[in-house]
Amino acid sequence: MGILTVNLKHLYQRRGLWLVYVCLGIFVFAGIAAALDKPATGKGKFIILVASALFVGFLSAALAAEVVNKPFSYCLPGHRKVPRKFIFSVGVVTNLLASPIFVLYPGLGWWQWIPVICSAFFAGLVFYWIGVLSAFVVRNSGAWVGFLPWLIIGGGFFDLHITIERTIVENPLGVTLLGAFSSIAAWIWLGNANWARRYCGVPWIGLFDAWNRDKLRKYKQLRANIKWDKLKKHPNPWVERFFLGRMNKCDYIGQGRYIWGGLYTTYGIVLSQWKGVLSCVFLALLMLCFLCYMGSAATFMLFFMPGFMIMHMRTPLYSSIPVSGGRNERFYTTMTLVAATAVLITALVTIIAALTVALTAIMPDITLRGSTFTFHPAIITLFFVPLLMIPVGSTFQLIFYRRPIFMVLSVMLLFMLLFFIGNILRKPLNAAMVNPVSIVTLLVLSWLIFVLVLRRICMRRCLVGQGRAY
Amino acid sequence: MNSENPIVQMHNVCKRFGKTKALDEIDLEIFPGSIIGLLGANGAGKSTLLRHIIGLYLADEGQCITFGCDAAKLGPRELGRIGYVHQEGELLEWMTTRQLIRYVSTYYPNWNRQLEEKYIEDYEISTKARVGSLSPGQRQKLAILLAIGFEPELLILDEPASTLDPIARSQFLDLLLQIIQNENRTIIISSHILSDVEKVIDHTVIMKQGRILLDCGFDQLRERFSRVRLSALSGELPAELPFANVVQCQRSNGQAILTVQDSSEEQIEEAAQGLKCKIEIQTLTLEDIYKIVVS
Repeated sequence: MGILTVNLKHLYQRRGLWLVYVCLGIFVFAGIAAALDKPATGKGKFIILVASALFVGFLSAALAAEVVNKPFSYCLPGHRKVPRKFIFSVGVVTNLLASPIFVLYPGLGWWQWIPVICSAFFAGLVFYWIGVLSAFVVRNSGAWVGFLPWLIIGGGFFDLHITIERTIVENPLGVTLLGAFSSIAAWIWLGNANWARRYCGVPWIGLFDAWNRDKLRKYKQLRANIKWDKLKKHPNPWVERFFLGRMNKCDYIGQGRYIWGGLYTTYGIVLSQWKGVLSCVFLALLMLCFLCYMGSAATFMLFFMPGFMIMHMRTPLYSSIPVSGGRNERFYTTMTLVAATAVLITALVTIIAALTVALTAIMPDITLRGSTFTFHPAIITLFFVPLLMIPVGSTFQLIFYRRPIFMVLSVMLLFMLLFFIGNILRKPLNAAMVNPVSIVTLLVLSWLIFVLVLRRICMRRCLVGQGRAY
Repeated sequence: MNSENPIVQMHNVCKRFGKTKALDEIDLEIFPGSIIGLLGANGAGKSTLLRHIIGLYLADEGQCITFGCDAAKLGPRELGRIGYVHQEGELLEWMTTRQLIRYVSTYYPNWNRQLEEKYIEDYEISTKARVGSLSPGQRQKLAILLAIGFEPELLILDEPASTLDPIARSQFLDLLLQIIQNENRTIIISSHILSDVEKVIDHTVIMKQGRILLDCGFDQLRERFSRVRLSALSGELPAELPFANVVQCQRSNGQAILTVQDSSEEQIEEAAQGLKCKIEIQTLTLEDIYKIVVS
């Protein structure tokens, strides 16, 4: 079996990719449907399929990069040149399949088909190379995928799709030349002798590494090292003095020492970077202002997000740091930590929501492309939601700690279910939401479930696994 | 038989991870003052066994008692007497080395500052460096310091020297020999570097596929196995050699190298008397013994 064939086998051997293909299939289907549905010029409908090469380029380059990144592959005979063949093969096939959509472009004479399809093919290649280049530059596939929706929204907002579609049809020679030159440049770049060396063994977050705690931690650590070594910044001594002082005031045998220790190991680094925390709050406020212009319902996110965010917090429960705390100490420390986090986040979210209420009086209406957007404050009566969602998120984190993908999927499913039920039972729920008894009942129930699950895991489960991730 | 009470008692301990049986009916007693070498191939169950002792893992069946307390219920009182060097252990990457030492030492009333300073000096640990920026070897040195700084009664070392360079390994062995001077200290050391382990241990536990194959004193073990080199004074050695319990035999050009089990030096010499050959009897290294036992 040839090396290229082995590389191509990645395209179906990784089961995670099948989900990506489903998403891509939906995208392609939408592209074809948009082009077939009342074909019209100047609407940018034909560009969807061609522009999808951007994502395909990213995908193929991310897969190739993961292979190149493995130190063993560097020494395999001929392997250094194969990623180029792999990436080019996928690019050419993708664009050969996508570009004929322009046959349906209204008003094109048959003699125009070949130059326009050729132009679309090369335009697709330009998109493809942008995707390829970004995959090698970003080094964190998860971040890129997160950026993609913003790219689509941004492009749509500035009518880029219409401009590009018009350029493909009206200036086929220019686009063809641009595509040809970019392809030659990519061929030379991917064939550079130093290319494989540059990417071999460097920390890399692949397409499905978002669930690999070990790899993520090493990657983050490396980024932090580079950043901190440049800035010569270390955790603040006052943070250490404060927490160790509190620990020393507690008995060696009691729970207090472990609780303060848990708070220190969780918040120590956060408090040491208070400027960063303030920047995050400011950024959250900016994003919230944007959401406030989308309508009050959009601000729900502010109250529900802590439930997701808590799942990424490291709890002392599964820690293998060598201290003398037993299972009981881990239980009380984790419980206190989650409770303290819930109180802090609820207070923070309430302050931010109150700020949006205060801003309502001064925020002007914004008129953009004929639409007027009015600033709606966050619904401050939902302030209790983080207190409700944090134990829910923590419970899922406890249960699926070793399977992060299930953790995220299950919480997403739960939240979707909640939104669905919320939509159906809007009226009775609205009445319940203002009823303190139902709110308190929900709060007690969510915390009770969390404490019971935590207790069971603390007393009945293995607390570390093989490797540093646990 | 040791007259004192064992500090660790494992009775019929079984542990499964999915379909894999990690521990299979483990019975083990560890007495104070012993230095135990826990040996076995990768995946033999060494780390799993050690984690049961400190209660990080819970047995599916059987019972594990440490310092007289069920391992699942170990608290600060008992865990404060146990030092543990975790294989690839987690450390707080964002702290400086000194901050981490200060943090961990806060949990132990008997932390020995003198030992800490001496260790830092001897092992050239950079106290200003952030833990996350340490090399694997430096991390391991730090992990060892955190485990011995409070002078624990039971020291559990899970692959402690795997990432250390030869000089650091030699220093580490010296340190272990110093620690052993305290008669009440018990050390369990799991390692693949058998040449290092055999310098310090007095008891051997060999594991294979979750089972304990051998559990005996190291001197007793060394006496059990001997290597006998026979060189014929003239011609060839006879086809049948008159030795009992031969485990391995290699022959070539009038020479034979035998590994015999459960035979004393006198018994071997007596058996070789009629052979007209030169005889040399050697004890086996731990590595050789280990290979014989696991095969």
